[in-house]
Amino acid sequence: MPKAFLVDTTRCTACRGCQVACKEWHNLPANETKQRGSHQNPPDLNPNNLKIVRFHEHLDDKGNVVWNFFPDQCRHCVTPICVDVADMAVPGAMIQDKATGAVLPTEKCVHLSAEDARAVAHACPYDIPRYDEKTRMLTKCDMCIDRVSAGLLPMCVKTCPTGAMAFGDREEILALAEKRLALAKRSYPKARLLDPADVNVIYLLAEEPEHYHEHAAFV
Amino acid sequence: MDCTRRGFLKMIGAGALCLTLGQFGFDLKEARAYARSLKIEGAKEVTTVCPFCAVCCQVIAHVKDGKLVSTEGDPDFPVNEGSLCAKGAALFTMYTGEHRLTKPLYRAPYSDKWVEKDWEWTLGQIARRVKDARDKDFIQKNEKGQTVNRLETIFSMGTSHASNEECAVIHQAMRGLGVVHIDHQARV
Repeated sequence: MPKAFLVDTTRCTACRGCQVACKEWHNLPANETKQRGSHQNPPDLNPNNLKIVRFHEHLDDKGNVVWNFFPDQCRHCVTPICVDVADMAVPGAMIQDKATGAVLPTEKCVHLSAEDARAVAHACPYDIPRYDEKTRMLTKCDMCIDRVSAGLLPMCVKTCPTGAMAFGDREEILALAEKRLALAKRSYPKARLLDPADVNVIYLLAEEPEHYHEHAAFV
Repeated sequence: MDCTRRGFLKMIGAGALCLTLGQFGFDLKEARAYARSLKIEGAKEVTTVCPFCAVCCQVIAHVKDGKLVSTEGDPDFPVNEGSLCAKGAALFTMYTGEHRLTKPLYRAPYSDKWVEKDWEWTLGQIARRVKDARDKDFIQKNEKGQTVNRLETIFSMGTSHASNEECAVIHQAMRGLGVVHIDHQARV
């Protein structure tokens, strides 16, 4: 049974518990950081951050500041393009686990040339995989496949203190997404789900995806 | 091949395991990268409390061979129901991080350096200085001649993590000295 996430950004307070919990579970080291005038830190996904909360602000039509939060991670696409592109260079460098639908880089990634690895990363419509030149691995969210296989929740979902994230069987999550969307529409008439038919990490946004992140949605 | 019944059963067991893993969706060769076992498997669960704010979220610390291997929220605790914010989620690194203080540090008056000290020296110093300050500054009566038994040169800075029982002990100790300035970190 494929698994899915729901990320209800209308409930996200950008505490970044998910971002930190992900690092802790995967034993990823700290990055050297710098004050760049935004709470978004580090500025982008990298081999040490498989998940980051993106911050985006803009003015609404009344001139009020709207501050949106977008906990960005791999969407675990239903038909992952990265797997197809990687297969053209090194078959099996990226795989899709049939049991959970998790899209995973494998140790065969080291056989990808740097150029091919970058091609895999660039193929991603959501700009997710990052190439680690030191280990020669493609790095991205692994759906906490070790936890999920043991019946535990992915770490980001487990830690979310506001209930913005949910995880479960795809059918259940799709139903929950529709329910939450109906609820969100009462306060945010422009609320929408992002690519629910194509991805297993479904985002609920309060307004247009461009007010969250350049690569939030497929189109 | 020398094959006992027990060994044969073991082999069958291993075979069955491979079969289930295969059916699991992984190509076995490719799955090697993910075949690593769950890092908290078989770990002892110790409950503890996040030290950062007054919400006091409960945390499960996973301990394996006497070593902390992971921390996560305790789903059975009604306050946080398994969740943790960014600070609570970072407890594992707080414990293992190189910046963590593990020994008392002392900076002498007018010095610009911290010096490592042992606990015996540190506790002795604290006791000495509390006693000296109290002997010197204890106010038994105010200007009107009323008994006040007050010590105004020491204040107590507590923590939002002190339980009711700890608070009672701290409070009694401070009142016993005559300390009237008692506060805790969440207010400052």
